[in-house]
Amino acid sequence: MHLALEEVILSRKNWSLSAHATFCEGIHLITGRVGSGKSTLAQAIAGLTEPSSGKIVLHGIHRHTLSMQFPEYHTTGHLVRDEIRSWGLEPGKICMEAGLMGREYERSFALSRGELKRLHMSCILAGTRDLLILDEPFSTLDPEWKHRMCRKILSHHPPVTLIFTHEQAVLPRVDYLWELREGSLHALGPVPEAIPSWQGAPRYIEEVLKCGVVPDNITIEDTEEALCRMHD
Amino acid sequence: MIVCSDLAFRSVAIPDLCIPSGHTCVIGPNGSGKSTLLSLFAGIETPEQGRICIDETTPRKTDVGWVGEFPEDNLIFRTVHDEIASALRFRHLPHEELEPRVEQALRDIDRVDLKNARCKELSGGEKALVALAAAIAVRPKVLVLDEIDSHLDRATAEHVQRILPSFSCAHILQSTQNMDTASHADHLIYLEEGKVRHFGSPEDIFSDLEDTQFYPTLWRFASCISHLKR
Repeated sequence: MHLALEEVILSRKNWSLSAHATFCEGIHLITGRVGSGKSTLAQAIAGLTEPSSGKIVLHGIHRHTLSMQFPEYHTTGHLVRDEIRSWGLEPGKICMEAGLMGREYERSFALSRGELKRLHMSCILAGTRDLLILDEPFSTLDPEWKHRMCRKILSHHPPVTLIFTHEQAVLPRVDYLWELREGSLHALGPVPEAIPSWQGAPRYIEEVLKCGVVPDNITIEDTEEALCRMHD
Repeated sequence: MIVCSDLAFRSVAIPDLCIPSGHTCVIGPNGSGKSTLLSLFAGIETPEQGRICIDETTPRKTDVGWVGEFPEDNLIFRTVHDEIASALRFRHLPHEELEPRVEQALRDIDRVDLKNARCKELSGGEKALVALAAAIAVRPKVLVLDEIDSHLDRATAEHVQRILPSFSCAHILQSTQNMDTASHADHLIYLEEGKVRHFGSPEDIFSDLEDTQFYPTLWRFASCISHLKR
């Protein structure tokens, strides 16, 4: 099961992005600057837009979905209960997953944005899919929930998972790193080998790399462990 | 000085709070009332009870720059130029002053390239940056930023934090979920269930939060990193 981008070009006026890549099974983290094309590429992979040229081919992938950056784009149910049911899920269970117990009858848009993101992510992670495309899954979550969401992604992720993000504070354990820069998708490779060449690394990783320490993975816990090893 | 007295609005209830001038970050769990409190400071909402005074006047009589948490909602004009210029036009700024101010705002956010771009073609982060440019172009007394950094990559977010002091706003009120960013503020407000649980310097607040995920990552690593660098 894998996803192939064959000489893909995405373009609009004065802007273009090229991508030639294979996403095999595992968790892939794709980072890039503001306006580098993270959401545009995510939407093209999900089939919401057509590339200007090239092909996006799903090999053995039958079920896939995209979680968009802004949870309000997904919200269709007036009440929290209706929103959860619109995903074909059981409200009580999802409310518990999202930390919204007893709030099934509240209006979806009366939730704070972070709460709405928790609701949306709990719905999307409850499904069974072959490919999951997550565009900024941690945005607006508080630090406690960012950690919880990392654990949820790790325990619920489908065979091929793509995470597009500029998150700097809390990241999950991943298998491969990619970067969008200078109008192209760059494969940095498997983790941990790819970490030293990661230009958009969070500050906490950049600081330990300066000390000559390469963590086993990109989480805060892995970084702390690597620091402790060196310190000892 | 911003003074909240017997303030109540939706879930937010603040009997008494005085915020000195400077950069104040509002932090706290999802749903704790950060956006609601910031919308009160910006004068977008008015209290159901009590009052907010910003240097002895109300928020609605204060020049406030506002960047909301929904990038789509921040922009109403067709092009980036018109979006930034609109804030100045509404203030009846003479035409000859308008263009230099738009140019300066674009230089401040380091995105002169966006000047003639259409707003609907911008990425989420670019929309947040343009909203910031429109807010600072009028040189407001109070700048209110609701999780602007959640839309920005690291380099851009750090650039924004670096330039904020240069706008000479008496008050910058900013919510963030990045505690390393919050650790650089002059004052912190930690909200929980609509109430101010902690108010003070980052050192004081984070010493109370050391055993939680709210403690800044770089502070957690600081002693190890400085030892290794030696």
